[in-house]
Amino acid sequence: MADAPNGPIFGLAPLDRELAPKLPSGWLGLLGGSTDTETSLLAKQFAAHATREGPAIFYTTHEPTEEIQVAFDGLGRASDTVRIVNLSEEYFQSVLSRRLEVSRIRERGIQLADLKPSDAPPTVRLPYNLTNRFLSDLAGLDRPFRLVLDSLDFLIEVLDLPEVMTIARQVRHRAQAFASPALLVLHGETHERRVSGLLEGLADVVFELSAEPEGSDGDHRLKVRKVRNHPEVRRTTRLKVTSKGFAPAKDDAS
Amino acid sequence: MDTAAASSGTGAVVARGRTVTGIEGLDNILNGGIPRGSMVLLAGAVGTGKTTLSLEYLIRGAESGERSLFLSVTEHTAKLVENLATFEFFRSELVESGALVLVDLPDIYTRLGLDREELSSEEIFLLTKAILDLVAETGVKRCVLDSLTSVVYRIHRDEQIRDFLLTLSRGLNRLGCTTLLTSELASGQARYSTHGVEEAIVDGVILLGNASRRGDILRVLQVVKMRGTSHSRAQYVMELTPIGLLMAPHLKGNSPEGT
Repeated sequence: MADAPNGPIFGLAPLDRELAPKLPSGWLGLLGGSTDTETSLLAKQFAAHATREGPAIFYTTHEPTEEIQVAFDGLGRASDTVRIVNLSEEYFQSVLSRRLEVSRIRERGIQLADLKPSDAPPTVRLPYNLTNRFLSDLAGLDRPFRLVLDSLDFLIEVLDLPEVMTIARQVRHRAQAFASPALLVLHGETHERRVSGLLEGLADVVFELSAEPEGSDGDHRLKVRKVRNHPEVRRTTRLKVTSKGFAPAKDDAS
Repeated sequence: MDTAAASSGTGAVVARGRTVTGIEGLDNILNGGIPRGSMVLLAGAVGTGKTTLSLEYLIRGAESGERSLFLSVTEHTAKLVENLATFEFFRSELVESGALVLVDLPDIYTRLGLDREELSSEEIFLLTKAILDLVAETGVKRCVLDSLTSVVYRIHRDEQIRDFLLTLSRGLNRLGCTTLLTSELASGQARYSTHGVEEAIVDGVILLGNASRRGDILRVLQVVKMRGTSHSRAQYVMELTPIGLLMAPHLKGNSPEGT
């Protein structure tokens, strides 16, 4: 690929320099790691380095929006330049809070006061559908973007696998259509091998973040486990955590 | 409006109290009204007057001091109130004062999270309990479920329909509530309910239909079954007027339609 279309990946200079030119424009990445390895921080760092692609869109399924905004500010990316979509909050408000209310009513028994006044107009409301919600948002993207879905774990928990794979395939399709990179986060150790295998097969590049034992020079290791058509660039980068996010450890900073 | 249960000093016969419907002619057909606490199927094809009859039954009750409950499945209660305004015997104060309580059953579905098209046994129990809870809370003595057909559409097994109706019937009877369940029939349908289970469980069946006379289509009413009372089984012409339903004997020699 002579003319590299891709901008920085995570802002980790040596890795970006070597890997970015080998990735197709509109690549789909899968970032794995155990839940204690700060995958969300690295995912935000990826979103924070959106430059030529257009707006950064960060879908979260487990963090409060305010915390994500603070984290982006800490990474040097003004949080108001990132569109944060909190799928878990929406899901809670639309599905889980209703389930709570239904449980309360079922347990206590219904009362006349629970029912709407009879002069209220009838309402027609579609049940919340996480897949439709996400895909309709995706379909609304009309220019290049940099997208993060952090994480697939929640989707795997509440949706059937074919639905999850539909979502992943649609992200890939949109990424290719707009020559825009997208990163899906998956905490691999909590799922069946088949699930991670299917997602890894779909991804152009697979990253794995792991924590180093205490006392090591670096705090973490970022392993590039798969690069489609370029196995020669698979490598491991040692990282340390700084106030500005992850940075290459000394011996990987060249 | 309850004719008190008559008891003899020797205790030989204790007659059940009656719920006087207040509908002109119907109480005579029923020999004084519907036995208190009965559950009665009001069956008929579209346009035969099921909803009108059941609403008049409730309004007459509310007027006479018996709080009444209308559970509507298919028609929004706000629209029902608008339609009721055409009857001279209806006063909106009955609704405002709570003497006539109108509830949209879909609201109960929503509050109980009964979202699936087919109700499970647990969900059927929850629905039954919700109806009985409402009757107990409001102290209503008259209830209409319009329509039973729409409810049992979501109950797929006959034994579940049977359990639903038996539990509902026992609970309503214990609460002294006399209930009408409307049942939608297809024109020419031989039985009185969707599954056939319903008519076997209920205490009474009132059949509404159409009959032709010299080219006119008349609404007709016939009490097919009513436990706990003797009653006429003759067919009556039922006329819908602004002052309420009027019954008159149906002259012989006319061919029935839609009954």
